[in-house]
Amino acid sequence: MINVSAAPRRAWIPPVTVLIALVLFVLPVSDPLSGFLPDWVSLVLIYWTFALPARMGVPLAWCTGLVMDIVTFGIPGTYALSKAVLVYLARVLALRVRVYPLWQQSIIVLGLLGVEFVLLALTDLIAGDGLSGLQRWTAVVVGALLWPAVYWMLRRTRHLAHLGN
Amino acid sequence: MTSVSRAPNQVMRGLIPYVLLSVVLISAYYYNPTVRRAAQSAAVIGIPVHFLASLPSMALEGMQGKLRPTGQLRRDYAALREHNLILQTRLHRFEFLESENRRLRKMLSATPPESEKVTLATLVAVNPDPRSQTVLVNKGSADGVFEGQPVVDAGGIVGQVTRPGVFRSTVSLLTRENQAVPAQVARSGLRTVIYGGGRNRPLRVLYLDRNADIRTGDLLMTSGLAGRYPAGYPVARITVVERNLAESFMNIAAEPTSHLGREREVLLLWLPDARPLPPGLSSAVPGDPVD
Repeated sequence: MINVSAAPRRAWIPPVTVLIALVLFVLPVSDPLSGFLPDWVSLVLIYWTFALPARMGVPLAWCTGLVMDIVTFGIPGTYALSKAVLVYLARVLALRVRVYPLWQQSIIVLGLLGVEFVLLALTDLIAGDGLSGLQRWTAVVVGALLWPAVYWMLRRTRHLAHLGN
Repeated sequence: MTSVSRAPNQVMRGLIPYVLLSVVLISAYYYNPTVRRAAQSAAVIGIPVHFLASLPSMALEGMQGKLRPTGQLRRDYAALREHNLILQTRLHRFEFLESENRRLRKMLSATPPESEKVTLATLVAVNPDPRSQTVLVNKGSADGVFEGQPVVDAGGIVGQVTRPGVFRSTVSLLTRENQAVPAQVARSGLRTVIYGGGRNRPLRVLYLDRNADIRTGDLLMTSGLAGRYPAGYPVARITVVERNLAESFMNIAAEPTSHLGREREVLLLWLPDARPLPPGLSSAVPGDPVD
């Protein structure tokens, strides 16, 4: 028998999942499809905040957002701001959401992604890019619909990494 | 208890500093050139991520080349050769016209237009940011790329470089909402400005008088005004012209002639430093001492 408590904790696994999400985020897709693909990084950050609220915090989210800004050649600070707010809100809700059934979690995720979406649209507006980003609201809905799948996959990953609370 | 259930004002202290930090960073990026340069250099850390993201499309492309039957490759090759031959012949005529044009301009004592320098850049198979309509090219400030540099492909103007990194740069497509190109109707010489309409929307030609000479199918070329885009490159073709008697301006839509980053290669243009002055003007520049 394997002693689970003695199994090595693979703390490097969460950062790797974030990196994979980042690669998926910049993956080129054909134009009609790209409007429907959610921000994978947001979903992964929400999962780790729900699962490990004590370890996942605003500073880590802010740094992830900054890396995203740099990788996407955006204005540094834009994604940093949105991810920090996202994880802050997710962290406030974390302990309550964990006991919810998956479909209710999806609704919470819809709200979180919606807040981030509005925040990003506002920063775009201030930057002079207009409101054309609002056409991408479908990505928020798809993100919430995909939440159960993301949740299931990352849960398996977390158990593989032997990361409890 | 875990640290999550803290008093609200304590938790606000955990968020507000990061919000302020972001706002400071965003405004510093706008107002401080040093911060901008630092961000350009930092973009180097994105290269491994971009490489990983471009692997699937690179593999797909490699497979397509291997899987295509030899007969078809041979046919493609023959077609390309033929096309090349036609282009070569046309180029000879073009060279003749260019020399003739230069001679005629000399007779009119006008400055001959200098041709632009170009560099071929390949698109990196990466979607830098789904929020903005940009594409990534594999040339950066290390190759002399600068902000505002015009980008063209076989069809015409693609857009301009908006964020040059050290080895990679993003090009804003002309369909982006905050982009505008000074243009001219090829048929009538009417000058106007083409504005981007946003993702998956036609380009717009605004503020043209109801009586302006413009029709569906007209080709719009860059006029070279404002000095950002060189003159004479095709930009868009008019698709819709609506004259409404109740309004003083027409409602005009156009579609870009270029492939807008769907082609793998684009050309970066360097304008000649000494811009030719329009004929009829003396070469004296305001502020220059004139004898």
